[in-house]
Amino acid sequence: MSAVAANTIDHEAVAQIDALQAGYIHALDSKDFHAWVDTFDTAEDTAYFCIAAENAERNLPIALMYDDNRLRIEDRVTFIEKIWVGTFQDYYTRHFIQRTRCSQQSNNIYAVETNFSIIYTPESGKSDVQVAGLYKDEIIINGSGAKFKSKKAIYDTTVLPRYIVYPF
Amino acid sequence: MNDLSNPGINSQLGIEWPKNMNEVPKEVFVRTDLFDVEQKRIFRGPEWHAVAHVGELPERGDFKTYTLSNVPLLIVHGHDGEHRVFYNACSHRSNQLETASFGNKTEFECPYHRWLFNPEGELIGCPNSKEYSPGFKQEDYPLGQPRVDSFYGLIFITMHDDTPPLTEWLGEVKPTLIKALGDDGRLRLLGYQKVSYKSNWKGYNDNDGYHAPLLHTAFTLLNWQGGDGRQYMDMARGHLGFEAELKRVPRSELIQDHSLVDFIGDEANMGSRLIQLFPTLVITRHLNVYNIRFAIASGPEETEVHYAYFCHEDDDEEMVKHRIRQSSNLLGPCGMVSMEDASIFHRIHIGSNTPGNAIFQKGVKSFDKLEAEIKQNDETGNLARWEYYRKVMGFERALA
Repeated sequence: MSAVAANTIDHEAVAQIDALQAGYIHALDSKDFHAWVDTFDTAEDTAYFCIAAENAERNLPIALMYDDNRLRIEDRVTFIEKIWVGTFQDYYTRHFIQRTRCSQQSNNIYAVETNFSIIYTPESGKSDVQVAGLYKDEIIINGSGAKFKSKKAIYDTTVLPRYIVYPF
Repeated sequence: MNDLSNPGINSQLGIEWPKNMNEVPKEVFVRTDLFDVEQKRIFRGPEWHAVAHVGELPERGDFKTYTLSNVPLLIVHGHDGEHRVFYNACSHRSNQLETASFGNKTEFECPYHRWLFNPEGELIGCPNSKEYSPGFKQEDYPLGQPRVDSFYGLIFITMHDDTPPLTEWLGEVKPTLIKALGDDGRLRLLGYQKVSYKSNWKGYNDNDGYHAPLLHTAFTLLNWQGGDGRQYMDMARGHLGFEAELKRVPRSELIQDHSLVDFIGDEANMGSRLIQLFPTLVITRHLNVYNIRFAIASGPEETEVHYAYFCHEDDDEEMVKHRIRQSSNLLGPCGMVSMEDASIFHRIHIGSNTPGNAIFQKGVKSFDKLEAEIKQNDETGNLARWEYYRKVMGFERALA
């Protein structure tokens, strides 16, 4: 893969990639998990991983969320909306993102890296940093716009400050 | 003096334990002044504490750092093949020697005065030693070590001279512990999930491990209520063992990717095993998940838990892949079955600031006697541990 600077990539593609990332964090922060699923491509092998940087650096495969196919991504919504409902103290999230790298891997697939941090606010609690990390994404652009072919949220936060309900 | 055989009465802490053996004073979850006493009597007292499994350090030179009762530890797989636990402090002026949480090194150098240690803990270099104190000998300054012992690859330390031998301390629960450690201890690390809970260590401990399955909607939805099982306690040390069958159930419509709850292997090994060792260690083998939960009582209101997941050395590629996929999503702080456990740790801690006692109910047959073996869904499995805690802390039981 030859790295292509963002400014040599078609402006329209960059705009679609940024719109996808904005749609992703909007879906999560507004707890619209069906919209979250819709940011992923419909192919069977579409993947979402949320993994500690400590594991990733050591090539240890265990993740916090290991959704290596489309069905698992859909099942995650079932966890949140059906299985865990009523058992946890709910919290608001606000994602903050900054695209740092973008390159064209092939005709319609882009490799994109984006810093992220999440501020969380538990019900009746104060706001705090939940996690900071890097999204390493493969984004596919076709007729229906940009979608995640795979999304990997690699979090630096060695020890998470509490249990996790919502995807990063 | 053995703290345990003669603990003395802790009347100055002003806690009178309830007469009924199924009651625990809520204040013990939230009284911050107990924490220092617990450090002395329990975490630095005559108990064994697991700090690593050899499966986390497969290569020679591999190391891991860990903390027990604020004491920094360095666990190293030596070039001679032996695993050792050192105090993670230079033998010169006690500068913290290693700051990384893991790695592989051929030597450890303290940057302060450039003292150099090999993975076996020997001091192999110290510049300008001719100017050191009279009679200074390099061989007199290896890294310090606590007492160490191991059981099926699980490495324990104790910082107290009177701790009994490890196998004696483990007591009754060894058979389940062996199963939970893969039958022969030959486990290999797959990775960690690390999280901090806003809960006292006893609140974490009272609610992690085994508890009645009503909390777990997933169990109900997956029809996992059947099967025989038992809980048994080591009354001398407060340990708990749990074993239950898991029956194969018709595939639920609830989830689409059933590999999350599929079991691969011998029917005889399909089940749930769990060990809780006093004070904080939880180990479970559930379906195809091997999980050791190293819990650190980092403060009166904070417990850090490192969920370490393993495969077995004999697993083929397909099995390893299955364990990775099941382990990541099933039983951790974001697991389908267990996320709600984590939320309970917080809520128990908050709720325990209210007056009175926490009262255990299910399975209680007597108010003045504990049973060593109970049914799998009884909530009394924690009571042996509470009784042991009460004795170690020197709290007297009320007469009426």
